Amino acid sequence: MSEAQRKKYSDKDKNNIFDHEFMPHIDSMYNFAYRLTFDEDDAKDLVQDTYLKAYRFINSFEKGTNAKAWLFRILKNSFINEYRKKSKQPAKVDYQEVETYYNSENVDYSMTSDLRVDAVKDMLGDEISNALNSLAVDFRTVIILCDLEGFTYEEMAKILDIPIGTVRSRLHRARNLLKDKLRSYAGNMGYDTEEE
Amino acid sequence: MDKNQNTSNKRKENCSDENKCFELLESILDGEGTADSKEILNEKIAKCQPCFEHYHLEKVIKEILQNKCTKHMVPSELAATIRQKIQDLK
Repeated sequence: MSEAQRKKYSDKDKNNIFDHEFMPHIDSMYNFAYRLTFDEDDAKDLVQDTYLKAYRFINSFEKGTNAKAWLFRILKNSFINEYRKKSKQPAKVDYQEVETYYNSENVDYSMTSDLRVDAVKDMLGDEISNALNSLAVDFRTVIILCDLEGFTYEEMAKILDIPIGTVRSRLHRARNLLKDKLRSYAGNMGYDTEEE
Repeated sequence: MDKNQNTSNKRKENCSDENKCFELLESILDGEGTADSKEILNEKIAKCQPCFEHYHLEKVIKEILQNKCTKHMVPSELAATIRQKIQDLK
């Protein structure tokens, strides 16, 4: 970023921005961090590191713009750079591999269509949360950002550093994977998931 | 008889371009649709059974994600710890 775009905030301005634009997002930030790390201590560290970075680089933030998206982007990058390598989770499937697989023409997308609206409506919070948590991190992330946090595709593109078209297609793939998980829950609940 | 033949009150049973249609339906659900795409949505839902089913299923999944997903309470001391660390930086 060029110097011309950087702000020179006074300490009072900085505190004002921090208290009124950054801190109100701490609930969303913690939930995002928890859904990435699955660990309370790691989530706390990740949120804390994000806020410290946000303060350190506050001159790059333009007052009154989208603080939540700016903070989420820092958190996501911190997670990739630091937490992902020391994560307590078992190794995830390589994202590129997953994306290529689901991008291929041979996948039968209609296979998920037998999941019933009624079965989904009866699902418990834990079941939907577990289904979401079981997705690979890149797929989980787009659903969290879109459906739980309500970011627009444009905001998600900025947070994730990917084009809007990729946001759209990754979301679609993530939702197909989520439906596979939900369908297996529905099957366990005794719903008939076969076509009539 | 051709299963896909469309009649005024019966939706076609197969979608000719599911992937593209479903992505479009999802983007409309996500509030990303334009005026044009909403007309397309109404048309698809009225005439195509897979699109009709996909739209309603994705709608209810989005709703349960928003309303039922477990929320994690922020540890009470976290905000204070962050503020203290910021003070230490100054």
